[in-house]
Amino acid sequence: MLRGREAPERSNTEAETRMTESLRIVVGYTADDSGADALALGARIAAATEAFLEVVMVLPIEARGGVVPRDPGYERHVKERSQGWLAEASARLGDDIAQSLHIRYADSFAEGLLAAAHEFGAALIVVGAARGGLLGRSRIGSVASALLHSSDVPVALAPSGSREVATAQGITRITAAIGLRAGASAVLEASVRLGRAAHAPLRLVSLVPIDLPSGMDEELADLTSTAHAEEVLLAAKRALPAGVDATVSTATGSSIEESVRALEWHAGEIVLVGSSRLATPSRLFLGSTGSKMLRELPVPMIVVPRPTD
Amino acid sequence: MSQHQQHERAAQAATPAHASTHPHEHHTEPHAPLTTASAMVDGTDPGLTKKGLSAGSVGLIGAIVIGISCIAPAYTLTGALGPTVAEVGTQLPAIFLLGFIPMLLVAFGYRELNSAMPDSGTSFTWATRAFGPWLGWMGGWGLIAATVVVLSNLAGIAVEFFYLAVSQVVGFFGGDAAAVADLVGNPFVNVATCLVFILGATLISYRDMQTTQKVQYWLVGFQLLVMIAFGVAAFWHVANGTAFDATPVELSWFNPFEVGSFSAVVAGLSVSLFVFWGWDVTLTMNEETKGSRTTPGKAATLTVSIVVAIYLFVAMGALAFAGVGTSGVGLGNEAIQENAFFYLAGPVLGPLAIFMSIAVLSSSAASLQSTFVSPARTLLAMGHYGALPQKFATVSPRFFTPGYATVVAAIVAAVFYTIMRFVSDEVLWDTIQTLGMMICFYYGITAFACVWFFRRTLFASARNVFFRLIAPLVGGTILAVLFFTTLIDSMDPAYGSGSNIFGLGLVFVLGMVILLSGVVVMFWQRWKRPAYFRGETLSRAVAED
Repeated sequence: MLRGREAPERSNTEAETRMTESLRIVVGYTADDSGADALALGARIAAATEAFLEVVMVLPIEARGGVVPRDPGYERHVKERSQGWLAEASARLGDDIAQSLHIRYADSFAEGLLAAAHEFGAALIVVGAARGGLLGRSRIGSVASALLHSSDVPVALAPSGSREVATAQGITRITAAIGLRAGASAVLEASVRLGRAAHAPLRLVSLVPIDLPSGMDEELADLTSTAHAEEVLLAAKRALPAGVDATVSTATGSSIEESVRALEWHAGEIVLVGSSRLATPSRLFLGSTGSKMLRELPVPMIVVPRPTD
Repeated sequence: MSQHQQHERAAQAATPAHASTHPHEHHTEPHAPLTTASAMVDGTDPGLTKKGLSAGSVGLIGAIVIGISCIAPAYTLTGALGPTVAEVGTQLPAIFLLGFIPMLLVAFGYRELNSAMPDSGTSFTWATRAFGPWLGWMGGWGLIAATVVVLSNLAGIAVEFFYLAVSQVVGFFGGDAAAVADLVGNPFVNVATCLVFILGATLISYRDMQTTQKVQYWLVGFQLLVMIAFGVAAFWHVANGTAFDATPVELSWFNPFEVGSFSAVVAGLSVSLFVFWGWDVTLTMNEETKGSRTTPGKAATLTVSIVVAIYLFVAMGALAFAGVGTSGVGLGNEAIQENAFFYLAGPVLGPLAIFMSIAVLSSSAASLQSTFVSPARTLLAMGHYGALPQKFATVSPRFFTPGYATVVAAIVAAVFYTIMRFVSDEVLWDTIQTLGMMICFYYGITAFACVWFFRRTLFASARNVFFRLIAPLVGGTILAVLFFTTLIDSMDPAYGSGSNIFGLGLVFVLGMVILLSGVVVMFWQRWKRPAYFRGETLSRAVAED
């Protein structure tokens, strides 16, 4: 879907090929609201694309520090508690979604999720975006943040409240955010694949913040940048494979946030953005435009790694 | 084989064999195959991944570092030197050596129990298995009380050294160092600072923020270096004739019979227990230590040798430098006894005294963190088995720490310190002696639990005779004698620091309040949650092999 990568161990018989070919989505689960958001979004994408859900809990490796001695009894307790949490989560998901549950150990949650994604040949990692801060403000949690700056697998961020969206809502539209510079190929490609898998229409958008020194003719500036954006969008649309259609729209505003607000959004929509030019090839790095969008977006966002040069 | 099938197989293999010992877990059956990277927890899976092995285990040095950082020699010595000298005078080295014996013997039994029944409830779980719910409950209470008492003591020492360090820095820049150092004496400033420290330690423990091994290597290395420098500097002053009260080292320092009175030896011992407390972790780290089977043994032996050597060297240096006179920085001076390094660092180390402050501060910080884990895990186990409200068994879903229990332990430690600071003039001293009594209580119960739990296997081998019978029995008996002797002696209002309430020694009152409130809470829980007390959640057992 999002990535043409094959599962590492692929066998040859037909039945098994079909099995491994089904998409795999890793959900980074924790037994709190953020984990529930991630699980709900993962389940929704899995249901829409008939993907296989790998629900992963990452526990800390106890012996990683140099201060607190390990306690196998306590580790066993945490493991059993986590198995219980996973079982409860799985019960809530129901039997309609193909899934398996996993407990993994790693130095950090992000590291463990990435390792699990590689282990399963997953095409997507889903995490809760927000970790409710002490002050109740929604912000990018450390896990999401770590993944957003290192992952080589696309990362979906479930905004706070995703847990309220029913699985049946499905994916009603895929929106690809096309930047003004070249290099949108990865986003475009991933959006096409996801749109196909989910049987969802595609929309290409370009956000045009007008941020010019005062005194300039705003009308004129508006016109030129919008014209440029439309050119880029049309070029992107021409680059789409045959048989794929897409709507295009350009959003303007005095800032990225305002442009995002200017667009209309479906409840079942998913947005894809590319990585910043700061990313190393084939890795992910959420740039400043992406971060600003994330703050404002009412729907989930998937960040796609920078293509290999 | 497809991945899916592999998962299913792994799920079957990973079905927890321990489920039966955890009756309280409400089991929701998973709707899907469940796999666990069990290798890193159980260590039984032959398919141990490379990553798991390197990240999940501790080498010889790592084990020694954790051991030393749990004992925190810089912190324990500063708290224990004075009170021990007050009891036994120059026979301090003898008492330190003697105090080590019961701790070592009980640690052997502790290790046997830990490998037979690894459980986060340690003393609570083992004593319940051996002796049933009532004694087991009190064993857990003793452990929790001891750790809560030591938490408040640790935080108290950290506060004193914090202000000392600040005053040293202020003095360096020409400020009014004495004014800053005097802030410690203001109970309101003192308590406020202490509460901030406890809050910080709670946050760190709750979020499970651990110093990496590398950082900890440096901190422990630094701590040892400062202690050695202190000893060398002390002897150098003695040789140069610049010591405060040069006292020649004598062989009699190592002879406990020169102390004179049995009560004094007991009082000294009950303080010295505290300096070795926490050492047992090196013995129980057996499962994770990488390398050969002999590594844990080596780690334990080396840890203990290093710590005992440091204690003796520093204690002798301090005695030779300051003597046991009752004026100035003489160790017999009551004014300096409850925090010896605080007063000795300047005269001995001169301009380098700030390093001592940093060593004690960093050692208290590390110890504060490792100590916090202990009551929290025991409270969690008690909640889990229904000996306390279920809430205590809550595991934080985000940090995987015993969140509720950690917060409760912190609140109790904070309240305890605050009350003590206003009730007692010599908080640190009184808490250490109370702590000694609590250690005797729950270590004693644990030692006897070992003998009783293994009663059918005691004579199966020569090894069992020593590790399951003789060592814990002798160790437990010594601790029991210390406990009752201390209890009786401490009724005397002049006992220890001389703090007293209504003519009864404060240490006695504290010990009684802690134990009797334990009994009250126990009966309350018996009424609220009878299942545990009927042995339905954690039954008595006896080892068969």
